[in-house]
Amino acid sequence: MERKKIEEFEPGPVPPARPVDRFGFFVPEENNSSQGSIKNNSSQGSITKKVINEQEREERRIRKWRKMIGVGGSDWKHYVRRKPQVVLRRIRKGIPDCLRGLVWQLISGSRDLLLMNPGVYEQLVLYETSTSELDIIRDISRTFPSHVFFQQRHGPGQRSLYNVLKAYSVYDRDVGYVQGMGFLAGLLLLYMSEEDAFWLLVALLKGAVHAPMEGLYLVGLPLVQQYLFQFEQLVREHLPKLGEHFIEEMINPSMYASQWFITVFSYSFPFNLALRIWDVFLYEGVMIVFQVGLALLKFCHDDLVKLPFEKLIHALRNFPEDAMDPDTILPMAHAIKVSKRLEELKHEYRKKNEKPILRAESSSSPVAQKQFSGKCFSNSMIRSPSLEESSAQGTQPPATPRSWRGRRLLSRNSTKSRSVKE
Amino acid sequence: MAAYRADDDYDYLFKVVLIGDSGVGKSNLLSRFTRNEFSLESKSTIGVEFATRSIRVDDKVVKAQIWDTAGQERYRAITSAYYRGAVGALLVYDVTRHVTFENVERWLKELRDHTDSNIVIMLVGNKADLRHLRAVSTEDATAFAEKENTCFMETSALESMNVENAFTEVLTQIYRVVSRKALDIGDDPAALPKGQTINVGSKDDVSAVKKVGCCSA
Repeated sequence: MERKKIEEFEPGPVPPARPVDRFGFFVPEENNSSQGSIKNNSSQGSITKKVINEQEREERRIRKWRKMIGVGGSDWKHYVRRKPQVVLRRIRKGIPDCLRGLVWQLISGSRDLLLMNPGVYEQLVLYETSTSELDIIRDISRTFPSHVFFQQRHGPGQRSLYNVLKAYSVYDRDVGYVQGMGFLAGLLLLYMSEEDAFWLLVALLKGAVHAPMEGLYLVGLPLVQQYLFQFEQLVREHLPKLGEHFIEEMINPSMYASQWFITVFSYSFPFNLALRIWDVFLYEGVMIVFQVGLALLKFCHDDLVKLPFEKLIHALRNFPEDAMDPDTILPMAHAIKVSKRLEELKHEYRKKNEKPILRAESSSSPVAQKQFSGKCFSNSMIRSPSLEESSAQGTQPPATPRSWRGRRLLSRNSTKSRSVKE
Repeated sequence: MAAYRADDDYDYLFKVVLIGDSGVGKSNLLSRFTRNEFSLESKSTIGVEFATRSIRVDDKVVKAQIWDTAGQERYRAITSAYYRGAVGALLVYDVTRHVTFENVERWLKELRDHTDSNIVIMLVGNKADLRHLRAVSTEDATAFAEKENTCFMETSALESMNVENAFTEVLTQIYRVVSRKALDIGDDPAALPKGQTINVGSKDDVSAVKKVGCCSA
């Protein structure tokens, strides 16, 4: 059992004997490019030309992004305030891979959390103990097992993953550790340091910019249940014929979409698509998960409506390769307007399930309060109403833990000015 | 339960659930039985997974529709919905981790709270290939299974040991219940509507199941 945070990687683990794709996932032996390797079907000459063109375009993009971010992110907030629509458009096109880690930290608000809580992560990793330690260890080798970074037993990847998950389980004892969190942490660790990944996880689950998502993992999985309810309704409204077919075949979203929400598409989707979804997710919020889900169903609609139960389940877990192309599915997703209905459905759901939600909320408060008012957390960043919730749509956040409300509010110029349009 | 349509041919369709603590090998038991595959690099199950396989019992084709569930306690909010209508269950523990055997009692309770009491249950001690690490004796598990009136087998998904037997036994048991019930009421079992999920738990099945009892092999 590793208790210590490992800061220095040991020199040179043996290079992998198996070939990996550009993201570090092992290429399956039959080489059917399931994890986002580029598919080539044109002739050799045009490939070279195409690759050069793509490289040039990518370099131009990176230059633009660097200008937008400034040194170490110094210009970012300013730029977002001045040109929110440009930022939105560029993020939807995909953040350049070499800047992704930094930009994710900027748009999620985790950068500020990190700066305001020096030493907290180290404290959590080194000195606290978690009741979830054994559960975490059991899942470490079952998280992205086909990725070169996480594959080595007790290697740097597995140790970082353990540290981040353990730290979070201490930081938020109500949530602790829940299966699925490892995929979030794992994805983040491929783009940033342990400490950065930890704070991004906090920003996400505690709601630094958007509505908190800890309800994905709290007892009873209240937010998962709410999302599945919302998604089911949206399917019926946007794709009535398919919705009807699902009812006839007794298919409900928990059979295929729980993973989408619990891991934000990082569990089993092609990695290049997952990353592009995460770019948008961190900037615009969970809405994109609904939109991508609907877009996938829409893309395969004509096939899905013909399939009987078992084949339907299989199809819903194995979308065809052309549906998984981010440049196909993301524009489709953005074109589906859901934000207003999502709000309405949220209220409908909470009204229906008022008691359980309230219970989950109040049970989470006292412990968190104690924890955060403790010495090492006194500088914790606080921000209760999320952007969406304080915006014109004007919904009070019933899921915001009370413990967050009393705390000092972090001024967040960057996010206040952000207005996301579908 | 409403009829599931499927274009492959079968005489009976049974819904079976795989439950037990996280990391005991449920998903690998399923993949071994349905696809004859085992993966050392498998991911933890998030939510539920699903697979099917048909076997032959007597002269009938029996199709199993198997739901594999996430083992972590927190996930029961989602997974317990899948117990409904199940006529068989494989309750899996890991023979090398005693705590997973201790938790079997809670799983049984969970199962009996959500399903009809006549569901056919097989207690499965998986990872039996790890002989040097064994923490649960076969005798203890056998005694427990007898006490609880469930079937029992030790398996190894890795070595493909007893996996086929465990699933086949559960399906055969369910089949016996169903066909006996049909005989009892003077029906021809073959005349049961094709493609319909048989629910052992429906009221008039109760006596039939009790007469069959269980194997504690």
